[in-house]
Amino acid sequence: MIHFEHVSITQPDATTPVIADATFSIRDGDLCLVMGRTGTGKSTLLGAINGLVPHSSGATLSGDVTVAGRSTRTHRPRDLADVVGWVGQNPLAGFVTDVVEDEVAYGMEQLGLSPSVMRKRVEETLDLMGIADLRRRSLMELSGGQQQRVAIAAVLAAQPRVLVLDEPTSALDPTAAQDVLAAIATLVHDVGLTVVLAEHRLERVMHEADTALWLPGDGRVVSGTASDILSMADTTPPLVELATAMGWPEVPLSVRAARRRIRDHGPHLDLKAAPELREAMSWRGDGHPPVAQLRDLRVTYGDITAVAGVDLDLHAGTTVALMGRNGSGKSSLLWALQGAVPSSGQVSVDGRDPRRVGDDEARRLVSLVPQSPADLLYLADVDAECAQADRESGVAEGTARSLLLRLSADLPGERNPRDLSEGQRLALVLAIQLAASPRVVCLDEPTRGLDYAMKRELTRIIAALAAQGTCVVVSTHDVEFAAQTAERTIVLAEGEVVADGTTRQVCSSSPSFAPQVTKVFHPADVMTVAEISAARVTS
Amino acid sequence: MRTASAVPVRARSTVVLAVAALIGLVAFVWPLFVAPGAALDNSSQGPLVFALLLPVVIVIVLTELTSGNISPKALAMLGVVAALGTLTRPLGAGTAGIELIFFLLIVGGRVFGPGFGFLLGNTTLLVSALVTGGVGPWLPYQMLAAGFVGLGAALLPRVGGWLEIVLLSLWCCVSAFTYGWLMDLAFWPFALGTGTDASFLAGAPVLENLRRFVVYNVATSMGWNLMRAVVNVAAIALLGPAMLRILRRAARRAHFVA
Amino acid sequence: MPRLITRVAPLPPDAVTRSAPVLRTTHPWAWWAWALCAGVTASLTLNPLVLALVAVALVTVVLARRDDGLWARSLKFYLLLGAFIIVGRVMVRLFIGGSTTGTVVFRLPEIHLPAWAAGIRLGGPVTAEELVWAATDATRLATILLCVGAANSLANPRTALKSVPAALHDISVAVVITLTVLPQLIASTHRVRRGRRLRGNAVRGLRGLAATLVPVVEDAVEGSMTLASSMEARGYGRTRGQQKVPGHTTVALLAALVSLLLGAFVVLGVPASPVTVLGLAPERWLALFLLAVGVGLGATGLRSAGRRLSVTRYRPAPWGAPENLVCTCGALAVAVGLWLTSPLGYPDQLNPPPLTLTWPALPLPAILLPLLLALPAVLTPRPQRAGGR
Repeated sequence: MIHFEHVSITQPDATTPVIADATFSIRDGDLCLVMGRTGTGKSTLLGAINGLVPHSSGATLSGDVTVAGRSTRTHRPRDLADVVGWVGQNPLAGFVTDVVEDEVAYGMEQLGLSPSVMRKRVEETLDLMGIADLRRRSLMELSGGQQQRVAIAAVLAAQPRVLVLDEPTSALDPTAAQDVLAAIATLVHDVGLTVVLAEHRLERVMHEADTALWLPGDGRVVSGTASDILSMADTTPPLVELATAMGWPEVPLSVRAARRRIRDHGPHLDLKAAPELREAMSWRGDGHPPVAQLRDLRVTYGDITAVAGVDLDLHAGTTVALMGRNGSGKSSLLWALQGAVPSSGQVSVDGRDPRRVGDDEARRLVSLVPQSPADLLYLADVDAECAQADRESGVAEGTARSLLLRLSADLPGERNPRDLSEGQRLALVLAIQLAASPRVVCLDEPTRGLDYAMKRELTRIIAALAAQGTCVVVSTHDVEFAAQTAERTIVLAEGEVVADGTTRQVCSSSPSFAPQVTKVFHPADVMTVAEISAARVTS
Repeated sequence: MRTASAVPVRARSTVVLAVAALIGLVAFVWPLFVAPGAALDNSSQGPLVFALLLPVVIVIVLTELTSGNISPKALAMLGVVAALGTLTRPLGAGTAGIELIFFLLIVGGRVFGPGFGFLLGNTTLLVSALVTGGVGPWLPYQMLAAGFVGLGAALLPRVGGWLEIVLLSLWCCVSAFTYGWLMDLAFWPFALGTGTDASFLAGAPVLENLRRFVVYNVATSMGWNLMRAVVNVAAIALLGPAMLRILRRAARRAHFVA
Repeated sequence: MPRLITRVAPLPPDAVTRSAPVLRTTHPWAWWAWALCAGVTASLTLNPLVLALVAVALVTVVLARRDDGLWARSLKFYLLLGAFIIVGRVMVRLFIGGSTTGTVVFRLPEIHLPAWAAGIRLGGPVTAEELVWAATDATRLATILLCVGAANSLANPRTALKSVPAALHDISVAVVITLTVLPQLIASTHRVRRGRRLRGNAVRGLRGLAATLVPVVEDAVEGSMTLASSMEARGYGRTRGQQKVPGHTTVALLAALVSLLLGAFVVLGVPASPVTVLGLAPERWLALFLLAVGVGLGATGLRSAGRRLSVTRYRPAPWGAPENLVCTCGALAVAVGLWLTSPLGYPDQLNPPPLTLTWPALPLPAILLPLLLALPAVLTPRPQRAGGR
């Protein structure tokens, strides 16, 4: 279906090609995963499938890419619109119109289909993606998962045979992501579409994948079956890590496959069973000094209650994961703790209320890195941002810069913050916020768009902060990240705290918040591959 | 600095633009040379007649400008910059007002070229009128004038650094005043009626009518025009470098042909 | 998505069944045609009673048939603008001198500006004729503006954009993008402004504006790249063949412009001769001819430029009986207005001579004008209003 023959792609202003001499094919009807760390050229590879690269990117391409017999050399992306559907990361930014139905029809209008055919196909596509009840809704007010499904429907209406998805779930929470991935799986199984999918959180899709492409970062493109590629790639979801640690020849692609393998081939480890949960609110502080108290904290927007009377104590030197579905009040709780959104009830950090002190003083009590860190950056380069951070924190010149070094992000000073990768930008904003040496650091969904290596790096940074006595509060949907990073986990639902305890207690007792390793070894009390390895050595 | 050309302007389009500019000028300064006994003599409805004529002119110019294939990138950029312009325009339409619109028109035209500048002026004014329900006889005038403000910014000599900011500020000052004056001139009989000492007198020497207009204008809207120029120049001086940097980076990444 | 700002409103359980029957709306261009006719009708007369009745008719139709879009709220603005024009014109008459013949109502202290200031006289005698004339002329202007306001309130701009000629497709797309991006920009501005506290709000004033503007613009510009890719990948401009616009299209467009230019010159600069042909001076006929040729050539050029593009429309706004009725009402009003003001009708009542003091008469057939213009209030389908059910 898709053939790459000796394809090399060089970005403008670059000397070495990002993809060098790639030759591979993707068969009709396959789900092909594209793996690789951030910046290895996944987007470029995907763009080459429908000719966005090189036609509208300014990159140079040698070799030949053919899709369904059409070469991208002679066909512009618009000429391939009825063969390849392309969906980007941020659905909202790709919408031309503002109503679901119009957006689905837009592509067909461009192809000049007759109104009656359009009408029929719109109805079919709405049903296929399960969004018929949203047809007259405004795109702005849909949830992220719904938006992404509309975006997929909008390209499907042209009835392409190949669907190219560039990290379609990277901006979504797990439920919404599951939603989107389930829809994609349906397209593969029931419609027989060929799907090429780049995805960071592989644990959610790898069981569906037939083949995979891996971009190691040196310009090569390695292709093979999903299981083979997973065992050699440097992107390591927990199951792959487990397989490597166990020395299994083949990577199990799902929790079910791993459990079966252990059932049939062992190892049968002697692991302590997790204790039954008797009390959901079991956090006692473990001897850490308290640094912040929230009493009956409430946040309301109009007639919507986001946080409904939360009582919490936060302790110095601990890392807290804040979990819960979208709209459960995680973000609002963090923003209210910082004092940046109006709230009622008591907030006391170090005996002072961040809502009553000045803006610059509040930063020294609680510092927050928002979901889109780039919102805080407005200067021309990294150096200027660091200098401004020193000034607004009233600290010695060079503090932010040295913090950046400590976060092991030695960013070029003259680089435009917009040219940084997600991870680098997060590090920059974190350094800026840490310059005020706050007592509590809040991170709102920091793992969005980060690959496995970056997440490990973030875990290390957070551990170092906690070791200095800072309290770190992280709101996250990423169970694996929380299991690695936080010692305490708080689960919110409908603005209330429904569970509060050590991460081990809260997560291992829950089917939805349990990390994959816990699920594989259920009912044993384990969370990480490291614990399994240690148990193997002792047994 | 290099000026990109997101919307190419062909030679024949230049002729179309020039004729349109001439018609626009006639529509703006009509009170100065109405002959006694002509169709619009002694009437305050001149702007209404031209409000029917100018849309035809604008449609023709837009057709000509967009008939060379416009890339989706240029269109998307046009939509987004026009949205920014609409956002900076406080709600409320009419012929006067302090709007930061000039700032964006000038910066946008400067970075993306004359054709883009013209389209930007038209789109921004049209959309801000649409969302506020302010489509009126003044709209075609505003669109045409704003189009030439954006186009003019792109045609200024190519200089770099602070000199460019000075140049753009000067153009902003000139265009903001000219815009205000022309707008007031066209709607002078509309606002004042005929027959007063400060109204236009059909057939009177141009200088006489001009003198009456200047007195009327200084007395009524000098303050507005001045404020508009000051605010926009300040915006160019303070925000201009950052905006130029952002948009130039985008123009580079979009590979608009230079 | 800025989670703290936009929240997904829970859908009522019966929302699906509710929105299922598609409500018929009247075509926006029909409203514009009707409003244009109303404007022409109003411009024909200087009888304040007729004008007031026309205004009442307009307001009636707007109140009955506007939907709940943002643009639908513009009626108040135009009413206020009209009031402002009338009051403003009368105030000007009070303070700036003009004709002094007639019934002097009172005298204001008189100041003569020096010659360099055009020798304008401020104050002085104020005559009743002058005031009435000013108010009447302003009322006509205000009524014409109200016609525009009515069209603004009734015509949905988004639907109007869907039915523009093919040659303007690109521009209509740019406008649609702007309308789509606008709410996103507003949300992103709110988000960034709120985030500024996180950095201590250290910079203020216009520089502080930069701290908000820069992230918003950066986001918007990056979004435009994504949008362009998405449009490209979905076939934007695909049906536009590779062939260039034929050269004669530009020639037609250019000729149209020149014709319009000449027409404008004739309208402005050529006095009418006393001879009349079919009721109009030959110069007026020449002007009309030139303008008509200009519009005709423009339309030809437009059609030829749009022919390359074969984009289709999904569920185009239908043009049916209600639209025809709305347009017919407008056209009939113009026809009746022309008859009434011609020597065959009631020219003296509808256009009383200026600067006379007589109570305006209302000839019975003149009531037809507001009635015809008000008819669309019942002839068109009722629009969908969120709060209305």
